[in-house]
Amino acid sequence: MKKAVLALSLALAGSSLLGGASASTTSVAQTPVSIDFWTFYLAPKFDGYINGVIADFQKAHPDIKVNYIDKQGTLEQELITNISLGTSPDVVNLWVESTQKAADSGLLTDMGALVPYAKTLYYPNSLSNFMVGGKLYGLPWYASFNAGVMAYNNDLIKKAGLKTLPKTTAQMVAFAKTIKDKTGAYGWAPAIKDPQGGSFLGVFAGEGLPLLNGNTAAFNSPAHAKLLQTYIDLYKADYIPQDLLRKEAFQLSQELYTQGKLATIIGGPQALNRVRDNNKAIYAASMITDAPVGAGRTQAGGGMDLVIPKAAKHPKEALMFAQFMTNRLNQVAFAKIVPIVPTAAGSNLDPAFAKLKASKDPIEKATGMIAANGPSLKTAIPPLKNATDLFKAFDDNIEAAFLGRKTAQAALNDAADAWNKLLK
Amino acid sequence: MNVKSLRSALSSYVFLLPALVLLVVFTLYPVLYGSYLGFTEYTATNFATNQPPKWVGLDNFRTLANDDLFKTGVLNSLKYLLVVPALQLASLAVAVLVNRQLPFIAFFRAAYYVPVITSISLAAVMWDWIYNKDGTLNWLLKGLHLMNPNSNESWLLDPNTAFWAIMFVTFWKGFGYYMVLYMAGLQTIPEELEEAARLDGATPWHVFWRITVPLMQPTILLCSLLSTLSAIRVLEEVLVFTNGTGGPLNSTYTALLYVYKKSFGGLDFNYGLASAAGLVVAAIALILSVLNFRYFREGSARA
Repeated sequence: MKKAVLALSLALAGSSLLGGASASTTSVAQTPVSIDFWTFYLAPKFDGYINGVIADFQKAHPDIKVNYIDKQGTLEQELITNISLGTSPDVVNLWVESTQKAADSGLLTDMGALVPYAKTLYYPNSLSNFMVGGKLYGLPWYASFNAGVMAYNNDLIKKAGLKTLPKTTAQMVAFAKTIKDKTGAYGWAPAIKDPQGGSFLGVFAGEGLPLLNGNTAAFNSPAHAKLLQTYIDLYKADYIPQDLLRKEAFQLSQELYTQGKLATIIGGPQALNRVRDNNKAIYAASMITDAPVGAGRTQAGGGMDLVIPKAAKHPKEALMFAQFMTNRLNQVAFAKIVPIVPTAAGSNLDPAFAKLKASKDPIEKATGMIAANGPSLKTAIPPLKNATDLFKAFDDNIEAAFLGRKTAQAALNDAADAWNKLLK
Repeated sequence: MNVKSLRSALSSYVFLLPALVLLVVFTLYPVLYGSYLGFTEYTATNFATNQPPKWVGLDNFRTLANDDLFKTGVLNSLKYLLVVPALQLASLAVAVLVNRQLPFIAFFRAAYYVPVITSISLAAVMWDWIYNKDGTLNWLLKGLHLMNPNSNESWLLDPNTAFWAIMFVTFWKGFGYYMVLYMAGLQTIPEELEEAARLDGATPWHVFWRITVPLMQPTILLCSLLSTLSAIRVLEEVLVFTNGTGGPLNSTYTALLYVYKKSFGGLDFNYGLASAAGLVVAAIALILSVLNFRYFREGSARA
């Protein structure tokens, strides 16, 4: 019964919001309510933007007060604690993997009744990131590409005598070797074992190789092993940094590129913020181009969403706010102040992004380029149950292969065995 | 018991009461409840559905017995105990050395204590530079011809060295703390005893082993107990140096990291299993504490 009431209220909230401007300015709250909105690592830098959106929302809905609270590294733990204490927030900013885990554990409100409308509001790829078992558990807010654009240090490219830039990951392998041989700097820092787990699966997906065949692991074919061996060879010959085995590729890329020890930095424009702040000379020598893609021709990335915990005290008002926060106008406005990829349908058509794309400034140009690529953004690894254990088993074997303890094929076979047991 | 002594006893308990309340609320209750959880199924789903923990008997312990990662963690935690004797011997020896009036001795005492107050994250950044393949340690070893100049290994990436490299940071961080405790203990030894021994012709070595060490047994017991418990519960160092992965090849994965990952690793937590693992760690710590007491008390009695 409760579920039916919730579904009905969600549907009503959804239709009232989607029905037009007049609906959006009418609050459904009968008595004043206060909702708690948790963000992840956004304060204090984006307080101005977020408080502005909240003010707009409160103006349209005078009966709803939004309390904005930014959480940082302990967001997940605090969410669990607050749910257990009966003080759950109403709207929470999570990411793909955490939404999947929280949905699996039954912590989130199923926004299923909204699906028919949501498909028109957000890019389908972005929306599918937050669908688990056909149910929608989060509204896409903003996203980032793993390999959206490639910034390159033009001084190092010239020093290496290179005339062309790599367009594919296969060309990137040759590029990395030339850069290292000619300049001593690394050419490439691909994600091979990021601490958050399973990143080499992204390499397979990028090359169009399958990860799963139904409920069975499919990443141990000879083609997969050959690809893994290519990376192992690069690692052993010191053509890619050793620390990729224990540090996040994004973080390590920023560190090395800023120090002039890496020729390319692949990712979103946000990767260049630190370079601009810490090494003006390298930032000035930086140029932007499309990131190399694998044979799969996909652009992988991660996404952030807004979820509503089941324990939220005001789910109806929470849903209204989550939709307002993630609507096209607000996402585009956010993308104009920080280089994120808006996920609301039609965001890519905003003329501001075309203007940015033509800019000479690396961050502005990259921002324009990725914003226009939003519709193609796709998460490399599909939502998985038992993701923590699956990624641990996979990463342990990948590490064993890189450290020479197992052959590439044996490591993938062992990982596949572990997955097949866990996926049963 | 007369009224006066009853009143005296009561007033003593009144003074003890605030501390007892705090002890019950923040120590006794969490320990008992945590122990109970070890025998229950208590996951995120329980939270979501508002279901209380479900009694499952020894199921969690069976899961742990079949979990290779937990077994690796326990073995590594036990191996980590090797830091205890090294830490105790070194800090006691240095405490003896700095417990005298020498020029700049205050500087040396402070210098040894600096690592204790250095945050683990700052220490991690610093040791990361030292252990890196292009870091200070490799540079030094290559300069001294103690390492192959073509060797290109980071100490934290080799499964054979990562564990010891992290353990050394524990040693470095704990050293000053135990040194201060030992210095406090040394102040309690009457100077006449050592003076008399020296007059009888005892060498400094004899004075150290026959007078200082036996009289320091209570302090040694305290320090040994504290460092044993810290070693078996090691977590911070492993978390910061391996980004929580326990790598390379789980060579630095400890029992408490397992507890941490199962309880706070994400939104798919399993408090029941984590509590059971915590109980196993607590049982090991208890056994080690008893052994410490037995060994050092007997030693003290012999002295």
